[in-house]
Amino acid sequence: MSKETSLYLKDFTRGILKENPVFVALLGMCPLLGVTGFIVNGFGMGMAAMAVLVASSLVVSLLRNYIPPQVRIPCFIAIIATFVTVIDMVLQAFQPVLYEALGVFVPLIVANCVILGRLEAFSSKKPVARSFFDAVGAGIGFTLALVLLAAVREIVGHGTILGPDPESAIHLFGPNFEPMALFALPPGAFIALGLLLAVVNMLMKRFNI
Amino acid sequence: MRDIIRLSLTLALVGILSAGLLTVVHGITEPIIAERQEEEYRQALESYFPGFASFETEEIEDDRFDLIYDGDGNLKGIMSTSVAMGYEGDIVYNLAVDAEGNIVGLRVVAHSETPGIGDVITTESFKEQFYGKSFDDPITANEDIDIVSGATVSTVAITNSVRRVIGVIGEEFMGLETIEVDITRVPDGVYEGSAPGLMGPIVVSVEVRGGEIVDIEVLEHEETPTYFIEAYPLIPDLIIENQHFDVDTKTGATVSAEGIVNAVEDALAGAME
Repeated sequence: MSKETSLYLKDFTRGILKENPVFVALLGMCPLLGVTGFIVNGFGMGMAAMAVLVASSLVVSLLRNYIPPQVRIPCFIAIIATFVTVIDMVLQAFQPVLYEALGVFVPLIVANCVILGRLEAFSSKKPVARSFFDAVGAGIGFTLALVLLAAVREIVGHGTILGPDPESAIHLFGPNFEPMALFALPPGAFIALGLLLAVVNMLMKRFNI
Repeated sequence: MRDIIRLSLTLALVGILSAGLLTVVHGITEPIIAERQEEEYRQALESYFPGFASFETEEIEDDRFDLIYDGDGNLKGIMSTSVAMGYEGDIVYNLAVDAEGNIVGLRVVAHSETPGIGDVITTESFKEQFYGKSFDDPITANEDIDIVSGATVSTVAITNSVRRVIGVIGEEFMGLETIEVDITRVPDGVYEGSAPGLMGPIVVSVEVRGGEIVDIEVLEHEETPTYFIEAYPLIPDLIIENQHFDVDTKTGATVSAEGIVNAVEDALAGAME
């Protein structure tokens, strides 16, 4: 493996496990807790955040030598906000069901600190190609965390997977199952996240990641 | 100085570029979004009024009413678009009413009620309670509509809003006449009447002597007591003092207050017949 490829690989994998934005850095909690009622919504949110993250990473990395450091944060925010609004409109036009489900959390991607964090810590200092792999990695890590938490909450809180659309929803426990509604609600999100963090930390220690 | 200009120019440039990109994307997606919403609405219309030919839109205050016509220009029904104040925000819904004034459909377009609790308003088992009812029915919480406990605010909100909207439809489009009450022409006696409050019917007795209301008593109600004291006995006192129904109901319990006024009106309307 050439030196360059291994560098890209390192940038890419770092965001997924070792520096996972959620499980290690504890960033982006607001959308994480807000939209993880269903796996589909969690995955959709992850994809939307990743799209914004990758696009703004590329732009910021391209412009890194032209943006004066004094105004870099306003510029980052403007760039992120632009891509969020684009995603918002595209979702509303082509993915109305997902758009309904994500609701207010799409505009809130602007304030997602995973994105601003990656821009500030990486893209604004590194070349375009490395920024790209870093952004994709962090995006996958964020999506992974969303889907994991959503899976716990949906299975326990609703007893289904692939809901809420009744056509695709699979009921795991039969019609007599009474779901624990607590896990479908915001307090349940905190509890589930806490338990998940404990499990992930334990596994990471065990396997020395 | 040069620094300030450079910084401002950078920010302005970023702003201009982003505005340009947004304008382009907005131009592409806007017609698609509008078309999709229109399409969904048309599908709903088609399901409630199969084979309709055209519709006309009328707006009365904040409600939108689409009058649905068949090919021969006869009124097939009315679809309203209204907003109810739910627990977490606005509930936007369509109410489909046939030409006789019976509810044939209730469609929640947008809401932000609590998932798993307040969103029972979108379930068929809750909505079907309204089907077949018209402006002649009470459409009142705990009377002919079962409220879902745990989701009281959401379900009561939609019940009260449906009652209001179907009342408007009855009066504006179906020739429902309201009896004008002239207190001075009501014969002496004690009359009973009822009208919906927030949580259920309010029953009052009204005593009339010499063309004047002399006493109003609430016999039955299911309102929350701590709110109800805001409306009772204040509202009866106001009616007796002014001898008309146009009293200020903006109290801490506006819906209960309006319920009392309507119940008194109902009692006297019965007496006029």
